[in-house]
Amino acid sequence: MFFSTKLKLPKYRRVRTDVQLQLGDDMAVRSARSAGAMRPESRIGRATAERREDWTLDLYEYEAKRIFQDHGITVPPSVRITKPEELRKVHLGWPLTLKCQVLSGGRGKAGGIKFPKDLKEGEAIAKDLLQLTIKGSKTESLLVEPRLSIARELYLAVVLDRAQGCPIFIASAEGGVEIESSHNVVTMPIPYPFHPFVGRELAQKLGLSGSLLTKVADVANKLYKLFESKDLDLAEINPLVITEGEDVIALDGKITVNDDSIHRQKYFEGWQEKHLSDLSHLEQRAKLADLNLVELDGNIGILCNGAGLTMATMDMVKAFGGEPGNFLDVGGGGDQKKTLTALEIVNENPKVQVILLNILGGITACDEVAGALVEFMAKHPERTMIVRLRGNNQDKAEQMLAKSGLKLFPDLEEAVKEAVAKSKVKQPVGAKA
Amino acid sequence: MILVNKDTKVIVQGATGKMGSAHTKRMIEYGTKIVGGVTPGRGGSDIHGVPVFDTVAEAVQKTGATCSVIFVPPYLALDAGYEALSGGITLLVLITEGMPPQDTAKLVAAVKAKGAKLIGPNCPGIITPGESLIGILPGSIFKSGPIGMVSKSGTLTYEIGLALTDAGQGQSTCVGVGGDPVKGLEYPEVLQMFENDPQTEVIVLIGEIGGNAEEEAAVFIKKNIKKPVIAYIAGQTAPPGKRMGHAGAIVSGGKGTAQSKVEAFEAAGVKVAKTPNEVAQKVGEARKTLTRA
Repeated sequence: MFFSTKLKLPKYRRVRTDVQLQLGDDMAVRSARSAGAMRPESRIGRATAERREDWTLDLYEYEAKRIFQDHGITVPPSVRITKPEELRKVHLGWPLTLKCQVLSGGRGKAGGIKFPKDLKEGEAIAKDLLQLTIKGSKTESLLVEPRLSIARELYLAVVLDRAQGCPIFIASAEGGVEIESSHNVVTMPIPYPFHPFVGRELAQKLGLSGSLLTKVADVANKLYKLFESKDLDLAEINPLVITEGEDVIALDGKITVNDDSIHRQKYFEGWQEKHLSDLSHLEQRAKLADLNLVELDGNIGILCNGAGLTMATMDMVKAFGGEPGNFLDVGGGGDQKKTLTALEIVNENPKVQVILLNILGGITACDEVAGALVEFMAKHPERTMIVRLRGNNQDKAEQMLAKSGLKLFPDLEEAVKEAVAKSKVKQPVGAKA
Repeated sequence: MILVNKDTKVIVQGATGKMGSAHTKRMIEYGTKIVGGVTPGRGGSDIHGVPVFDTVAEAVQKTGATCSVIFVPPYLALDAGYEALSGGITLLVLITEGMPPQDTAKLVAAVKAKGAKLIGPNCPGIITPGESLIGILPGSIFKSGPIGMVSKSGTLTYEIGLALTDAGQGQSTCVGVGGDPVKGLEYPEVLQMFENDPQTEVIVLIGEIGGNAEEEAAVFIKKNIKKPVIAYIAGQTAPPGKRMGHAGAIVSGGKGTAQSKVEAFEAAGVKVAKTPNEVAQKVGEARKTLTRA
């Protein structure tokens, strides 16, 4: 079977893992395809303009390096500064490396890494860098490091592979700027339970030998251990540098924390709020309420339970000539309070003229939804609502809503058509949405 | 029908929790052979008329259950899964949403090592209409018939199930494999079961944008499936770069698009419907063709 592992890696190291394996279309190859992993494109394919819209906890370089260091992976000595004059207190020698701490990729290309030769130049550069916004992401701080003498660069990452259903190593003997043309990319499954020989086999596959083999294997194994213990979706070192003195050092790093696991990771408590700065106000609110919101340009606010149904409802609105104003998936088992929060969030979008609610109760009970609707409509009687509600406890929900005068649509297509028709009605000027 | 029937003996892990209890009741009312619940510390009591045990091992020993439906909180799901496997359960239906994916990966490895089967996590479960409902699907939507359904989605499965039932196209079995990137049963395994199942005439596959499971399913169908397959892909109008609810549902860098999936299916001779009602319509057409042949 064809198993091509020609890995398309970033042009520049800061673009990070745009790991899209180029493969044949045979089924057996799926393992390699998905070396892109968990969320193949969103997590790994850090197509930078897109990644900020993905609600995952990406860490700044300095945060990732602190975690590396805590797990015994060597990182360069560094100081993080937020004001240019703080450089005066940095004693790492000259020239220095100044690196913008941003959550977007493409940092090097965007001029976010500089090598000032002395303090005067350093302060001037630091002033500029601290004001730099890279692809919509503001520079949070600067990381100051000495310039290392690098003998060679490697690429090393651990991700959870979607198709093989296990963590894998992705590594290359050519890291950094050369990596895109690398033909030496290795992927290796990490079987449960973990044993450190896997790291040694990986290092051997990379063509390493002698003390370098054991040193790189050690870093790989530590990277896996932190990937597991911190519940990460991605742990990446790019480049992993080998200095002229044969020290193995993580020069740059990327960590993505898994969303579902964050509540059992005390270490990351409170970090989500801090890292959501690139989301819109409503998207942040939705995220913190555990709702999946994507804001769109149309005027029909869509609220459903379940990702598939929400997408299907959105597709139907489009197919019948309407324009979705948002995608909001309440998820499974949403109770009255959560549904009400969801309704309020859709209601706050000024573009939304009609709210289309489509709930099929499985784990979600229709009466909980009905309770939220009754409460919502008491507060916003002027809002145009199209409601389709079916499934568990439907009878109870119908009774509750009978008093409200709200018409229930049993058929989704009918509901969508009605919502589209209502969305075309011109609202009087100054009408309250 | 595949995987479950009226004789499948089922225990419920987490039967005394809010969700577990509500759905245990519903499953019993449907006619599912629920033989016990498992909640540590509640052994000796009963819930909705079935005995509660402290451990899965005891439950299996006393009831002969082969299937467990799991409703425990996400961070306890791995342990519950291990316990089910160790207790001798051969079909695990894991409803829990939000299970850490590395936990899922560990459970999937253990399930494979034991030769058992896992449906889920983050799934609605499985129903063989008129026989057994295991999970959270609303039973009233489904009717017995010759259509096999496999889906990544929960509520969208109900929607399409409803469209099929309304059109008089009952179902042999519906399997919701779940929307998580790492999971137990995947499309090909379920497709093969439907292919081998004498009751199933037409297969409905419900997919969504993101990843490439649908493209792989298309390749598998071309090679292995003789029965007609109708597909539906959710997220045809999703904007690129936005994650649409499910962890895996995102189009990025031109990958995982609805178009790519539709093309893969069409190349494999699979008809792709654009709306839930069209699924029912195409199923009807496929069955007519079968009768004529």
